[in-house]
Amino acid sequence: MAAPNLSRDPLEPLPLLEGKHTDKTINDSLLEHVWRGAGKGWWALFACALSALSLLGIAIVWTLYKGIGVWGNNIPVGWAFGIINFVWWIGIGHAGTLISAILLLFQQKWRTSINRFAEAMTLFAVICALLFPLLHTGRPWFAAYWLMPYPSVQRIWPQFKSPLTWDVFAVSTYFTISLLFWYLGLVPDLAALRDSSKSKTKRMIYGLFAMGWRGSGRHWAEYKWAYLLLAGLSTPLVLSVHTIVSFDFAVSVLPGWHTTIFPPYFVAGAVFSGFAMVLTWMLPAREFLGLKHVVTLKHLDNMAKILLVTGMMVTYGYVMEHFVAWYSGNPYEYSEFFRVRQHGPMAPIYWLMMFCNCIVPQIFWSRRARTNILVLWFASILINVGMWCERFTIVITSLHRDFIPSKWENYSPTWVDVSLFIGTIGLFSTLFLLFLKFVPAVAVTEIKELRHELDHDPTAETAGVTH
Amino acid sequence: MSPLFRPKHNTLAQISLFVVAAGAVGVPGGLMLYARTPYARGMQDPIEQPLQFDHRHHTRDEGIDCRYCHNTVDKSPSAGIPPTQLCLNCHSQVWNKSPLLEPVRQSFIQNKPLEWRRVYKVPEFVYFNHAIHVNKGVGCISCHGRVDKMAAVEKDTTMTMGFCLDCHRHPEANLRPVSEVANMDWKPEGDPVDSGRLLAAQNDVHTRTSCTTCHR
Amino acid sequence: MSCDDNHEARANDRVRRSLPVVGSGGAPAGGPPATRKLWRSIEERSRAVTPGAANEFPGGAADLEGSSRRGFLQLLGVSTAVATVGAACRKPNEKIIPFVRRPEELTPGNPLHFATGYALEGYTSGLLVESHEGHPTKVEGNPAHPETLGATTTAEQALILGLYDDDRAKQLRRGATAIAWPTFLSELKARSASLAGNGGAGLRFLTGPTASPLLADLRRRILERFPRAKFVSYSPVAADGAIDGAKLAFGRPLMPRHHLGPAAVILSLDSDFLNDGPEQTRLSREYSARREPSRDMNRLYVVEPAMTVTGAMADHRMRLRGGDISAFAASLCAMLSGRGLSALGPVGSLGHGAGLWDSKWLVALAADLEKNRGRSLVIAGRRQPAVVHALAAALNSALGNVGATVEYGVPITTDATAGVEALRALVEEIAGGAVDTLVVTAENPAYGAPADFKLGQLLKRVPNVIYHSLYEDETAQSCNYLVPAAHPLESWGDGRATDGVVSIVQPLVAPLWGGKTEAEVLSAFVGDGEVGTHALLRKYWSGMSKLPGNLAGSFDGVWERWLADGIVPDTGASSEQGLAINSQALAQAAAPLLARQAGQAGQAGQGALELAFAPDPKIFDGRFANNAWLQELPHPIIKLTWDNVAMLSQATADRLGIETGDILEVSSRDRKLEAPAMIVPGHADDALTLPLGYGRLHTGHVGLAVGFNAGELRVSEAPWFDRGATVTNTGRHHRLAITQDHWTMAPDGREIPPPAVEAPLAEVLSSGSMFNEELEARRGAQPTIHEPVDYSKQQYKWGMAIDLNKCTGCSACVVACQSENNIAVVGKDNVWRGREMQWIRIDRYFSGPVDDPQMINQPLGCVQCETAPCEYVCPVNATVHSDEGLNEMVYNRCIGTRYCSNNCPYKVRRFNFLDYTGDISPARELGMNPDVTVRVRGVMEKCTYCVQRIERKRIATRIEGRAIADGELETACQQGCPTQAITFGSLNDASAKVTKLHADPRRYDLLHELGTRPRTAYLARVRNPNPDLVKVD
Repeated sequence: MAAPNLSRDPLEPLPLLEGKHTDKTINDSLLEHVWRGAGKGWWALFACALSALSLLGIAIVWTLYKGIGVWGNNIPVGWAFGIINFVWWIGIGHAGTLISAILLLFQQKWRTSINRFAEAMTLFAVICALLFPLLHTGRPWFAAYWLMPYPSVQRIWPQFKSPLTWDVFAVSTYFTISLLFWYLGLVPDLAALRDSSKSKTKRMIYGLFAMGWRGSGRHWAEYKWAYLLLAGLSTPLVLSVHTIVSFDFAVSVLPGWHTTIFPPYFVAGAVFSGFAMVLTWMLPAREFLGLKHVVTLKHLDNMAKILLVTGMMVTYGYVMEHFVAWYSGNPYEYSEFFRVRQHGPMAPIYWLMMFCNCIVPQIFWSRRARTNILVLWFASILINVGMWCERFTIVITSLHRDFIPSKWENYSPTWVDVSLFIGTIGLFSTLFLLFLKFVPAVAVTEIKELRHELDHDPTAETAGVTH
Repeated sequence: MSPLFRPKHNTLAQISLFVVAAGAVGVPGGLMLYARTPYARGMQDPIEQPLQFDHRHHTRDEGIDCRYCHNTVDKSPSAGIPPTQLCLNCHSQVWNKSPLLEPVRQSFIQNKPLEWRRVYKVPEFVYFNHAIHVNKGVGCISCHGRVDKMAAVEKDTTMTMGFCLDCHRHPEANLRPVSEVANMDWKPEGDPVDSGRLLAAQNDVHTRTSCTTCHR
Repeated sequence: MSCDDNHEARANDRVRRSLPVVGSGGAPAGGPPATRKLWRSIEERSRAVTPGAANEFPGGAADLEGSSRRGFLQLLGVSTAVATVGAACRKPNEKIIPFVRRPEELTPGNPLHFATGYALEGYTSGLLVESHEGHPTKVEGNPAHPETLGATTTAEQALILGLYDDDRAKQLRRGATAIAWPTFLSELKARSASLAGNGGAGLRFLTGPTASPLLADLRRRILERFPRAKFVSYSPVAADGAIDGAKLAFGRPLMPRHHLGPAAVILSLDSDFLNDGPEQTRLSREYSARREPSRDMNRLYVVEPAMTVTGAMADHRMRLRGGDISAFAASLCAMLSGRGLSALGPVGSLGHGAGLWDSKWLVALAADLEKNRGRSLVIAGRRQPAVVHALAAALNSALGNVGATVEYGVPITTDATAGVEALRALVEEIAGGAVDTLVVTAENPAYGAPADFKLGQLLKRVPNVIYHSLYEDETAQSCNYLVPAAHPLESWGDGRATDGVVSIVQPLVAPLWGGKTEAEVLSAFVGDGEVGTHALLRKYWSGMSKLPGNLAGSFDGVWERWLADGIVPDTGASSEQGLAINSQALAQAAAPLLARQAGQAGQAGQGALELAFAPDPKIFDGRFANNAWLQELPHPIIKLTWDNVAMLSQATADRLGIETGDILEVSSRDRKLEAPAMIVPGHADDALTLPLGYGRLHTGHVGLAVGFNAGELRVSEAPWFDRGATVTNTGRHHRLAITQDHWTMAPDGREIPPPAVEAPLAEVLSSGSMFNEELEARRGAQPTIHEPVDYSKQQYKWGMAIDLNKCTGCSACVVACQSENNIAVVGKDNVWRGREMQWIRIDRYFSGPVDDPQMINQPLGCVQCETAPCEYVCPVNATVHSDEGLNEMVYNRCIGTRYCSNNCPYKVRRFNFLDYTGDISPARELGMNPDVTVRVRGVMEKCTYCVQRIERKRIATRIEGRAIADGELETACQQGCPTQAITFGSLNDASAKVTKLHADPRRYDLLHELGTRPRTAYLARVRNPNPDLVKVD
């Protein structure tokens, strides 16, 4: 698979599109995987995903029936897997919006072949994340009830000083915008599917979702505007959401939480994990859906670079945390970072985090690593693990040893905790496999557009590379 | 190939969009309105008691003070439902043959309590105290309405937290001389709010709105 | 909105429902007829709470059954749906059940308080019990009672849970067949008639120790009718040593009574007098009263094998195996007579066991005692043999303490002793088949008696065993009549405190399950079975030739006053005057005993472990094993719940290769036992402490198979200390639910300001000292960018002060709080996970070397921060600040994000992780405090400064048109505290005690550096070391 780039002169930039194409060939090659019947592999994966999903179902029902007590949480560890998973998934959700919105505004051509993909993942990740804020409360029915607009005969409203209240708005906004953004981008392709679909029902369904798109000049004009507008809207969201999620910790008084650096390094971490997750899924997809010609080594190379950059931002965050803990002279901070995390019962998680998030990305200094599919894939998985460990360290390690030693407790997850985690992965995979099955994984129209640009502008390729 | 959709579908699409939007606003709004209706609050709905006890007769015709029967209202959280014994203070002489009063006599003879149906209730986590209200000059009528005009007692006020808070924030309108709490016909002279301020001073009224005032 | 409210409404409404009250107290039942009437109505209601018979409940019983917490929860689950639809919840649809005849002393909605008493080990303490519409809900000490002084022990606080325990024996039975009380009486009549034939030769009574005049009178009458019958008192934890010791010293059985008021120097010889024994409540008060930092402060020396509450309070503590303490006492005598204490005479030449302890320590102690003649005290513990008590008596009298800090009086219990020896005789009789009918009213002797007696099997040999018991316990298995006992709070009776003062014990409620009192069982033998205890009692007291106390008015009047006051005036016992030690005889008698002790003391080291049995500070001798409050109460020293462990020292553990949690096989005198080990700081080497009372095979479902039964190794010739045990590590592990895993204040070596501060007296008294400077920095306002809220304009500004110098860690406050605030019990697994619910946590820290540490306690509830970190993070305003500065927790608002707990630096918030209150029995619900919401699953809770008490008092005083006076409002923990370590009041009242304490130079704020402005202030602990020993520490 990595064969082509070995023969290539290292100074020659990688192409955005492999080979010569016409609109027709692009259409066929990119819609092909939708029309092709589901293969054995897909069904196998789908079966695994579904079983994991059912595990999620069981865990949720059990939690609602018995109460949070079926989780491992205790006092002082009031938050555990629930919040870890929430933050982790939200973070993963960032890559999509970043790619589609910010890279769009910066006119990065290489985004076109991966944005659809990433946006979908954003959506699914946020769905997984959204499970937890409600589920982790002691009385979800009231949580919904107090926080939504409700028949207020009590004259008491939500408390807007609490970051948890901000969360509700931040995350739901983010979800809505991402959904619109993803869908809008999908419309022309849905139209394409409608037109190329064989059976009437298929045409009917795709037609409904295509909302009568005809691709007229006016449509395109409006479409462009709307798309740009949404891009503008979601760009601040990329930053705001995880900033606010980080406030859930930063506004507290807890050593390990009470830190001003959280917002930037949460966002960096989010993008970091997001890109890792995109790679984790895209590499196989690219392989099996025959997208190599649109998702080229160039893309992988660029994404690896982003991993390297954000990885170092995260590392910087860690360094600053420790520096401030030492520099502030606060004994609680100091022992949190230099005793509890490094030598406490949860130390292995901490060191694993350090390895995955700080050491692993460094291999991307090498171009060979950046363009080696296997290396990329394993690295991306390690980074996902590392980012989960980071949240574990922040949430649990900080909580289980705080101010007064008499109420220190250890934490151990229960089968429900684990099932919830695996279950969300199942949910994510299920949605993702369905996505691959029923809509084009790559923004066909944008690729066509890209092709035209490339054909007419010989410098476009280099334009694509320059950052 | 023939077009899938015709122009009329556009209107359909628009209508459906509108319905969705309207529902999003209307449903919560409607619920908020509903929650405030007398029906939802269970008001204006006389409750049948096992025994045809008529407050009109006892308070208006006989002029019996509320506190004769509900005689713990000024010293206990609960106003107190009169023990059978109390009924018989009078009814051992008056109407002592009336078939209407048979259940009362039976209750006394068999030492088996009468079972009344509850009209007003506050949730378990609400600790309402009759004594303090009565002693600070909040009239029975303020919460229970013109019981002297009810054949069968019905809920007269919403009993929502909002209802309580309104008065705890601005008690003036509901204050009266402590001697008049049980008086159904008492009317303040002049502007109720001004006289209320006066009474608040007289009765040394300090309403509280801290949560633990009612929730413990 | 309204409708889930309506669902939630049930439970409390149920508890609030008016019910007939028992006729007693202020203007009670009057004559018997009235009483009987009320009793009947009571029995109606009590049948109602008997599961299965609930339908007999007058009205609303459906509620009672129907809305268990779990039911309510399911309702809640759908409540949002319902709420939005608004259906099915418009009208309450509930019944209100008024009285038919309302007792005049009762105002529905207002609680009543009744004075009564509770007898433990034969001595009766005075209680004041709160009752809501006929159900007792809270136990307090009776301030008028000379022994309790208004305070309580953990056991007394837990009585409420025991009363409503659904596992209690409920059915009077012959073998397996249920019989009625009258049937029983008639069968008994026949039997006693035949027994009377030969003067009751085969009739034996095995009772617990008792000082009840009524029971004594019944015994007299029984022995009149059955002259050849015998009574035996037995208690597995009897303190016979004291009586026999006095006999040794003074020539006749006497009972010591201690007074710490005048005591400047106290030496405890294995006596846990602050947390054990009938004097503990009073002694705790007297002890703490002299802990005020001043030249006059008392000094406590403790010599004991395992760390106890008293040992933790010691200024100087020496760990010494129980068997070696006699030698220590003898050496002390020698040392003192060497210092010219001639009064000791020959006793002064019994010196022994040199080398077992640091002689410097002994010298300093002797000097200190000698310096304080007449102002010192030597107390020997219940586990120590007669000789130690005798030597203590000798020391006290030689030091001139007798009459000042200790007095001796005739034992007030009917039998002077209740130990092994009396029982041995009975056992031999049974073995010899001499016993035909055995009446057992003692506490579960089959379990408590020494293992070598095999009493359980023996009882099966007795043709008729009539057992009177609260539970279907081990003894019940081998008896053919079981008479369910009435709980102390269900019983009429009388009893005497250690100083002889008589209390009339009156019931708070009729027996819930028709239990009978001991008096009723005994009276059946003299044909008074139908009379009932109340009548017997009145008959006895009215029949007395000379009524004690002021005789003004009829007996009824006097009786009423006794009931109301809780004590019978002028019944105190007099103490013996002009006692002289018979030194010669004592020396002779003591020598062989000491020799034997010394012989054992010799064999230290490998394979010669000493087994030390101890009454458990929580469940005592096992009688409270089914009390979940006590089972879940963290052990005052090792913070263990739901278990007992074999305690041993670090050194011994290292030597034997044992770690905490390892399951050991302990074998002694070819008996074997498996027990989990726990390393305890300050434990004597080569010794193993085994708490009694656990490993129950037959009791309620709470106490069943919790821990191991140390009694299996306990034999009659060595009931407390036994040498020569061997231990092997099975390698298996036992999971212990410990609430505080860490010993020190900085387990990871962090340099933080110590949470619990202590300092030696000298430093505290010198103004410029390091100590005072450090504390100065730990109080007062912190710089802040927010203008702090000004509470000085409020009518009240609630605050608390906790004096670490007085807190002994006895944990009475913890149980008091649990009872007052309806705090749930979570069970072992949840405690293990760190989900215990008690609102007060008594933090325990060790300092110094692990083999000989110092210990300090720090009770910690919500400190009610003025700038509370928990409040601003709650998304739904479920925890907010009151205008008076209370940090309020609104349960019905809480959705359970647990963010408040995460952000609470003190970690004093508790969360209902599971539905802990869902399956409590209908009976138990009657014991709930109706003024406090019962929290459901998913809700956060915490200490509220007993806000329900504040509001009740506020309303009462506002109606009277006055302000709450300082001291008239007490929190539950404060009221229960024997040492008055907790003070509560309004900080806006300059003259209030709490305000003064907040200004005390020892005051500091916990986590002051965070600027949370806590309303609870701590007063640093002061130690009063002997200057000669400072280096030793």
